[in-house]
Amino acid sequence: MVPLLKRLGLNTYNVDKKPHIEVNTDICINCKDKPCTVSCPAGTYEALPDGRIAVHYERCLECGGALVICPFGAIKFRFPEGGISYRYG
Amino acid sequence: MSFDADVIIVGGGLSGLSAGITAVMEGLNVILLERGEYSGAKNVSGGRMYIHALKMLIPDALERAPLERPITKETFEIFCDKNRKITFSFEEKDKKNSFSVLRSKFDRWLASEAENLGLLISYSTLVLNAYREGEGITLETNRGTLKAPLIIDASGVTSIVFRLLGLRKFTPDKWMLGVKEIIKTDVNLPENEGEVRTIVGAIKGVKGGGFVYTNKDTLSVGMAVTFDSLPKSEFPAKDLVEAFRERIGIEGEILEYSAHAIPYYGFKNLPPLYDKNLIAVGDSAGFLINDGFTIRGMDLAIGSGMIAGLAAKKIVESRNFSNTEVYYEMLKDSFVLKHLELAYNRFELINSPLTLSTYPEILCNVLSDMFTVEENRNTLINDFIYRLKEKGIPLSQTVRDLWKAIK
Repeated sequence: MVPLLKRLGLNTYNVDKKPHIEVNTDICINCKDKPCTVSCPAGTYEALPDGRIAVHYERCLECGGALVICPFGAIKFRFPEGGISYRYG
Repeated sequence: MSFDADVIIVGGGLSGLSAGITAVMEGLNVILLERGEYSGAKNVSGGRMYIHALKMLIPDALERAPLERPITKETFEIFCDKNRKITFSFEEKDKKNSFSVLRSKFDRWLASEAENLGLLISYSTLVLNAYREGEGITLETNRGTLKAPLIIDASGVTSIVFRLLGLRKFTPDKWMLGVKEIIKTDVNLPENEGEVRTIVGAIKGVKGGGFVYTNKDTLSVGMAVTFDSLPKSEFPAKDLVEAFRERIGIEGEILEYSAHAIPYYGFKNLPPLYDKNLIAVGDSAGFLINDGFTIRGMDLAIGSGMIAGLAAKKIVESRNFSNTEVYYEMLKDSFVLKHLELAYNRFELINSPLTLSTYPEILCNVLSDMFTVEENRNTLINDFIYRLKEKGIPLSQTVRDLWKAIK
């Protein structure tokens, strides 16, 4: 299996200065299943040992999934100004 | 109140560009806002287009558009488990009804066609906010504020204008995640031939399936699965396409890894298609057909875009920008809503867990019995009924489902 970061490294990114994803990690502490960690195709959300979530917003593939994957509304997502550009699509 | 244009289109993909081309040809004053540096920069699609709508939009498109290959072979593979799968193919040489496409190339071409016809496209323009003001809608963008009495939302499944106006509620069961890789390969086929493989059951737990589309010198390999099934998948979303590719045995250099959300509503669950001063087209309107044999979004995007362009003309002429129902009435008369309605029975059937896992397993068991010779042997129908009983499914239900599948 080709590692995720190697696959993401094939893409062109123009990362915004300010994160376009914000997570209310106080909500995450009470979330057992953490569906965001398994449902994001870019591995944007990583579970931390303290029960919170680390957000790697620079990996985002802009699928829009963040708008539906958190059942508790802890993720605030807007599309970035720069972000990813696909060569093939 | 003064407006910046008769119509503002948000999104420069297939539906937005089709709406733009049509509206400009109807003589309207149109601005199209595209988030990417170029059209197609943000687009991801499995990669097959049924071209009947494209030919209506650009009659000589077949000669000029950057299409990849005509699809002349359809293969379905249904995995029952690790060791057993059902495969069937249908081949029709010289068929030119659908083509594999790569959207970055295709959308860029369509955008240049639109610009040549006089459509004004503002690239790298992101809509940040939308609100009603005066007799129209105001859009705040990273490049300033724009106002129009009519907005066509062609921004894809996340429908930004509808969303910002509070007209959309999304749920994970009505959206699919599409993940895809482009694989460099020597396609061992003549130029006028191409194949689509549809693969179900290769990855357990997910609701959906995988695909392989043959491009000129690459393959598009990917999966489309509902977001609500992802936590039950044997692989996390980030490994889905890799696991799938390994399971079906495709190797090669990866050129691109991409992802996109896909609308999966079905005719009876479509979101609002219009509101005062506002029209939704393509993915933003939830237009996707999956009837088990054909999976279509791009022709519906072009078709609905063209209708929106024509409806815009009528709305602008009438000066009644509240009456966007005009668009819906035109859609009802078109192939877009007619085909969506026709496909609904099978769409529902495909969504049933019976269809996705139990029926394939029963079929595999029956076929396995058929090809196994032992002293004890049953008739095919008795074996089938026995295998159904084993799963607790009455024959009457299977007959009903079969009827649904062909209706």
